[in-house]
Amino acid sequence: MKISLNWIKKYVKIPVSDEELIRLIGARLVEVEGVIDESHKYDNIYVVKVVSAEKIPDTHLTLCQINVGADELVQVVCGAPNVREGMLAAWIAPGAVVPASVHEDQPFVIGKRKMLNKYDSNGMLAGADELDFGDDHSGIVEIDPEMAEPGDLLKDVFELDDKILEIENKSLTHRPDTFGIIGFSREVAGILGESFDYEYQDTTLKPGKELSVKIADADICGRYTAIVLEKHGEIDKKYLSMVDVLLSKSGMKPISPIVDVTNYLMLLTGQPLHAFDYDKFVKVGKSAKPEITVRLAKKGEKLELLDDTKVDLIESDIVICSGDTPVALAGAMGGKSTMIDENTRSIIIESATFSLYNLRKTQMAHGIFSEAITRFTKGQPSYQCLKVAEAAAEMLAGGYRVALVADTEKKSEKPISVEVNIDEINGLLGTDYSEKEIVKTLENVGFEIEGKNGNLKVKSPLWRTDIHIKEDVIEEVGRLNGYDNIAPVLPLHQTAEKNASLSLKARIRDILSSFGANEVLTYSFVSAHLVEKAGLDPKESYRIVNSISPELQLIRQAIVPSLLDKAYVNQKLPVDKFAIFEMNKVYQKSLGLDSEGVPVEKMHLALVIAERKNAGTAYYQAKYYLERLLEALNIEVSFEGKLDTCPVSRPFEKKRSASVIVNGETIGVVGEFKNSVRRAFKLGDYLAGFELDFDKLIEYARPTREIDTSLVVDKRDLTVETDKTYREVIEKVEEILAKHEVKAEITPLAIYQPETIKHISIHLEFKEKIDDTLMQELEKI
Amino acid sequence: MEELEKLKKELKDLNAEYAKIKEIPAEKRGAFGRELNAKKMALLDKIMKAEEAQYDMTVEPLDVTAPCAPNEKLPELYSVEQGSRHPLMVELDRVTSIYQMMGFDVMESRQLDDEYHMFDSLNFAKEHPARDGYDTFRTEEGYIPPAHTSTMQNRVLKAYKKKLDETGLISVVVPGRVYRNEDVDATHEHTFYQCEGVYVSESCTMGQMLGILREFFEKYYEQKLNIRTQPGYFPFTEPSLEFMIEKPKSLGGKKGDFLEMLGCGMIHPNVLKMAGIDPEKYHGFAWGGGIDRLVMLRYGLKDVRHFESGNLNFLRNFK
Repeated sequence: MKISLNWIKKYVKIPVSDEELIRLIGARLVEVEGVIDESHKYDNIYVVKVVSAEKIPDTHLTLCQINVGADELVQVVCGAPNVREGMLAAWIAPGAVVPASVHEDQPFVIGKRKMLNKYDSNGMLAGADELDFGDDHSGIVEIDPEMAEPGDLLKDVFELDDKILEIENKSLTHRPDTFGIIGFSREVAGILGESFDYEYQDTTLKPGKELSVKIADADICGRYTAIVLEKHGEIDKKYLSMVDVLLSKSGMKPISPIVDVTNYLMLLTGQPLHAFDYDKFVKVGKSAKPEITVRLAKKGEKLELLDDTKVDLIESDIVICSGDTPVALAGAMGGKSTMIDENTRSIIIESATFSLYNLRKTQMAHGIFSEAITRFTKGQPSYQCLKVAEAAAEMLAGGYRVALVADTEKKSEKPISVEVNIDEINGLLGTDYSEKEIVKTLENVGFEIEGKNGNLKVKSPLWRTDIHIKEDVIEEVGRLNGYDNIAPVLPLHQTAEKNASLSLKARIRDILSSFGANEVLTYSFVSAHLVEKAGLDPKESYRIVNSISPELQLIRQAIVPSLLDKAYVNQKLPVDKFAIFEMNKVYQKSLGLDSEGVPVEKMHLALVIAERKNAGTAYYQAKYYLERLLEALNIEVSFEGKLDTCPVSRPFEKKRSASVIVNGETIGVVGEFKNSVRRAFKLGDYLAGFELDFDKLIEYARPTREIDTSLVVDKRDLTVETDKTYREVIEKVEEILAKHEVKAEITPLAIYQPETIKHISIHLEFKEKIDDTLMQELEKI
Repeated sequence: MEELEKLKKELKDLNAEYAKIKEIPAEKRGAFGRELNAKKMALLDKIMKAEEAQYDMTVEPLDVTAPCAPNEKLPELYSVEQGSRHPLMVELDRVTSIYQMMGFDVMESRQLDDEYHMFDSLNFAKEHPARDGYDTFRTEEGYIPPAHTSTMQNRVLKAYKKKLDETGLISVVVPGRVYRNEDVDATHEHTFYQCEGVYVSESCTMGQMLGILREFFEKYYEQKLNIRTQPGYFPFTEPSLEFMIEKPKSLGGKKGDFLEMLGCGMIHPNVLKMAGIDPEKYHGFAWGGGIDRLVMLRYGLKDVRHFESGNLNFLRNFK
């Protein structure tokens, strides 16, 4: 929303600088996203009188002598058809910037030109489009001699030395009243600590019964007022008006006298209006007099809108009907069949309120984001419907007179009274405002207060649809006086316990990065293609119905597929060797729901290792990383060459992978990937990884372990020839050591297999002297 | 092996079926052709999978208990020099540690939640336009990858209600990953991180909220800071504000250069009520803000898309 500061200043006396005012609006009302400084936009543009206008033969041009308020006349060539002797026009002096181009990269500067090789032309007589007042390019603007004299600066006449605020609408979602200049100005008065003097006057119009308005359901339309205006003459739209200027500053465009009045009043009051062509309305309804019906659209109904789009109505759309035929999409846009045009005689002005819930659906379904629907979806109050329609009638009185008035009210806002104590106000804010200060703050913006001894009964004005509970009133006191005036205080507390999951993640992050691994974060959303490439079943994933793209449609079941995807990205960079890991959450449909009725959530740790120039066996590298990690976490682990069938295991090649066993329980899988998976991800042979249940790591990880600091007194190397697995050999060794009641630290040295027989060499360190019989027994394994 | 042979035979038979199309009446040929094509696609898919399986069968098993393969060297860790920690996670740890030192428990946020926690329990009226501001994703079942960590407020309040009765205080922060359906560019991601704060006591004030937030940011940026606020609107807080800090000098900030850091406010009585906490007795405040921005500011990063890129050329800068 764009707000002109000059327009606000018509309603409020501002005792501070513009900069301070903008700061205060930001601090106490709404986020100001930007400020368009128009202080110099209309510099060197003057009101001038065309003293003589001579047609240049065989051209569309006119040679003009103009009075610019100086002694000498100035010559300017003008191409507009409406230039004539005696008129007042707007003249852009040589050297001035054409206002419509000020925000372009290269603003257009008017100079002194020679036209047709012989006529000097100084500056230009400007059209509305050049002055940035809409798109009208049919002629130059004419200025009302009642308003100005030759030589006046255009910006003084039309108050163009202005600043335009760009307001973030979102933070006013609950404040429909601020979507009109009057409401916004009332707030500005409030935050300046001033009372707002504008008095709301109720209407003098007397609704009759001749004009029929039927509302099918009070929930879709609280109030519908309509005025039939009969044409008695032409509205003279000869001169540039303040309405043109204000519409343009607010981001709208002058279009025609009737539309301009409805738009202007909407900007001023926040109440959108719509004008129907009376004759067309009656014709569509096939009745003698207009029969207005407000109802929900029916299935299959269609409507052609003002902008020529044809919409298939949905059943939550509210439609205005003539008889039973829809002629407008309520609150959103008028229909083509009753649109006003240059032949329009009488008109019907609609001023109504509609359900914001229905209009929200209309907005989404048909993609209509007009100024009107923006206001209606904030929930406009109904108190001023008839008053604003009357204001339109008054502004159009030059060409129209009121013939019929209808006012059907199904629901109206009642003022709400809230009781609140000044201790509650100060208690919640952390302030010590006096009762007097609080009362004044609230009264400034239209609240009526009764009360004594600190107990206040606060009655909200009709336009404040957002006040329901005492906290709403407390907000007003805090906000209008400035939250920045509340002194920050720090309550003191003991430190809290660490979160086990976050602490462990931090520890793992430190350990793995010290192992040369890289932590990555990948999206929770993956494609069905990625899931399939990894050998998982896409049906096991929760599916997003409004995903950004097919690439981001499924919620992941496991982390490894995402890491394989990133492994490819990094091999392409190229990075020759890396270990990437991630700790994040996954969901599998088959795990069902938890006790709160939401999908069971699992935290996983996964790691993938890839090298481009390694002919070795990647499995052992991944296993080594896992062993070293678990060792650092003081978790004892073993490996079993049998995989379970859970989704996490599915990318892994079962002949070259192992279940990770801790305390007799499988906590994950480590291994190489299926050939089909490697191929699908375009990755080379040296590729392996693991994926673990993080909650199990929390369960088994220990912060410290006992360290035996006694000295090693004996060291032996042992090589056995065997066809057994490494673990079977170690178990055998441990069995023999146990028999001798000897303990040893065993580390692998090498596995050598010249042909078929495997030689396993290990290193043993003893904390006691051992005799050779033990070694001889070990060598016999 | 046999399975694959069988499938290939089926494909051959199916291809032969196509010849019959001439004998079918013209009006039924379309349907017949479509049916055949569907069968063929399904069969080709099975054959591909069977071939992949056969390829997988050629794999040599290995001793998964061994430290290395025969005749290969024992594995070694990569150089510590090439290791890195994700900057978002490291900063998230810093953030939670500061809050923890200030007395806040830490609870992680969910990554898939429901309408009740995301909206209903936060005092959003049903179908209210305010729900649109969150650009939420939805699953087929109607679950929501949360668009804000406030999705945890109701859970925090319920989980700590007992502690509130015993000690008179709830003070919890909730970091987590959140999602918004919006176009991605240098400053917008559909996936990002937030941290929520929830504080409830009998006597808490907005002044305390401002005090806690200022303290946090001063600890985080390790310097004194000027703060500023701006009215905001959230259905779950009343009053609602936006909290800003003056850009720290150490990060090239100038006077008057304020940055929006988070949204905050006094917890709406309905939100307390829905968690079974008496809003006449207790008051609270809550806040939530993005982590990605904090980190970008701290490291002078210009493109938020790096964070989830998995690109090691970027990530290896963060030890």
